[in-house]
Amino acid sequence: MLKRFIGTVGLILAGATLAQAAEMHAVVRDHKGLLVADAVVLAVPVDPRSALHARPPKDAVDQVDKQFVPYVKAIFVGSTVRFPNSDNIRHQVYSFSPAKKFELPLYSGTDAPPIVFDKPGVVVLGCNIHDWMIGYIYVSETPFFAKTGPLGTAVISDMPAGEYRVRIWHPSMDHAEETTGQQVTLTADAPASAEWQIRLKPNIRVPRVSGAASPAYP
Amino acid sequence: MATLHNLDMRCPSLWNFCKATRASLPVLLIICAVSHTARSDWTVATAGALSHDDNVSNARTYNDKVSDFSASATVSLSQSIPIGESYSLAAGGALSGQIYDSLTGLRNGSIDGLLSLKKKWGLGAFATWTRAGISLGRSDYQDGYRDATLYAASLELGKRIDERWNLWAKYAYERRAATAGAVEYLGVSSDAFSLRGRSFTANAEYTLSERFSINLGSLLRHGDVVSTAQTAAAGYYLSLNAKAVAPDPTFGPGAYAYRLDGTTYGARLGAEYSLTAHSLIGCGFQRVETHAQGGNNYTDSMPELTWNYRF
Repeated sequence: MLKRFIGTVGLILAGATLAQAAEMHAVVRDHKGLLVADAVVLAVPVDPRSALHARPPKDAVDQVDKQFVPYVKAIFVGSTVRFPNSDNIRHQVYSFSPAKKFELPLYSGTDAPPIVFDKPGVVVLGCNIHDWMIGYIYVSETPFFAKTGPLGTAVISDMPAGEYRVRIWHPSMDHAEETTGQQVTLTADAPASAEWQIRLKPNIRVPRVSGAASPAYP
Repeated sequence: MATLHNLDMRCPSLWNFCKATRASLPVLLIICAVSHTARSDWTVATAGALSHDDNVSNARTYNDKVSDFSASATVSLSQSIPIGESYSLAAGGALSGQIYDSLTGLRNGSIDGLLSLKKKWGLGAFATWTRAGISLGRSDYQDGYRDATLYAASLELGKRIDERWNLWAKYAYERRAATAGAVEYLGVSSDAFSLRGRSFTANAEYTLSERFSINLGSLLRHGDVVSTAQTAAAGYYLSLNAKAVAPDPTFGPGAYAYRLDGTTYGARLGAEYSLTAHSLIGCGFQRVETHAQGGNNYTDSMPELTWNYRF
């Protein structure tokens, strides 16, 4: 009888803790102090049970004006991603990344089948027809993540209160994401905040326009 | 026609351009027909350049060298049609015009049509690629004796090593068919502006930063070259080995153009700065050295400023 009582009280308390949603505000700057967009902020709960009920959502990465939109997409592991093509031409999307290797044969519109991203990690997207097209999917092992906007800020909300290990990733980050780890305690009373200053390497990309000319007989 | 003649008097470059357009209309029609066969990828690009040539006349001696500034502009339209997973067919056309500061007879308008087949030997931006292409064009000059139909066939090979390094090479055969003059001089042909040649170019492009890149190209060409001399002594020297001779009044009343066999070595160094994802400005310097038959050697140095926009 006592065991059942203790068990019931425990469940109520656990439910109450989960119901107390907390949020975290993040700011990311580069080494010059400028705000950084497209950084993925991840919060991994120290108690893994906090993330048990998360369900992988359906997501999409579009192709507009021969570019991937968005440039960086963060998803939860196990998510299904569609690749609609809003251009009036055909694209051939592929990835060589160990986290997900795939190739969508030439297609237009919404003909391409969705892809399931079942392994955490960074997936680099390309188009075999338009070599300058590049995009990133960050497959997160935690359901608690957000991406910084143009002002370099991100908010992760609806998180259970508790201890979290937080870190960030950016396509141009000049050091490993593990080096950005911080410990954060979230409570329902007030949002927590975390700040990062990261070194960015030059974003060298295959150019869309090249003016390189061969020498010619005059 | 009276209107067109008036246009000829007032705006020679435009008149030349109209003539070139009319002559090459069939080429454009073929391009349009090909381009409507599949759902495909249109690219419109524009380019402009300001350049200086220290030896437009391709002369050996100092007294015969004529230098001039020129400005050119090109609008091109091309369509890429993916065929399967690794082939793509491209059909396109370009309209271009060039004006010279003092050598007004060299002002010209051109139209070109290009058809090429590209194969990528793998998937992704770093796969090796090859391309075979043919082109047909027409150039009309203010001094009409230089008007010509242009034919070319080329084979290209390229590979992007990484985001920074891009390498490619091209072998081309080109033919320029002009109309021979009515009168023969010195007992040789008067078809001095019809040329044939084969060329090989190798190029490398290196991206230094997010917006800045440099490129280096080299040229080896063998075939016909045209050298124009205004002085009698130089003309005599050239005539000993000329395959064709014709008057070339663009460079002066007593000037003659001589067609010779020659080998040209060249190099070009350029730098580009991206203004936006679609446009860039650049500068370049080209130096070529031609060794023509009978020791008629000459050099050309050409600095230029360029602008490119791709929609």
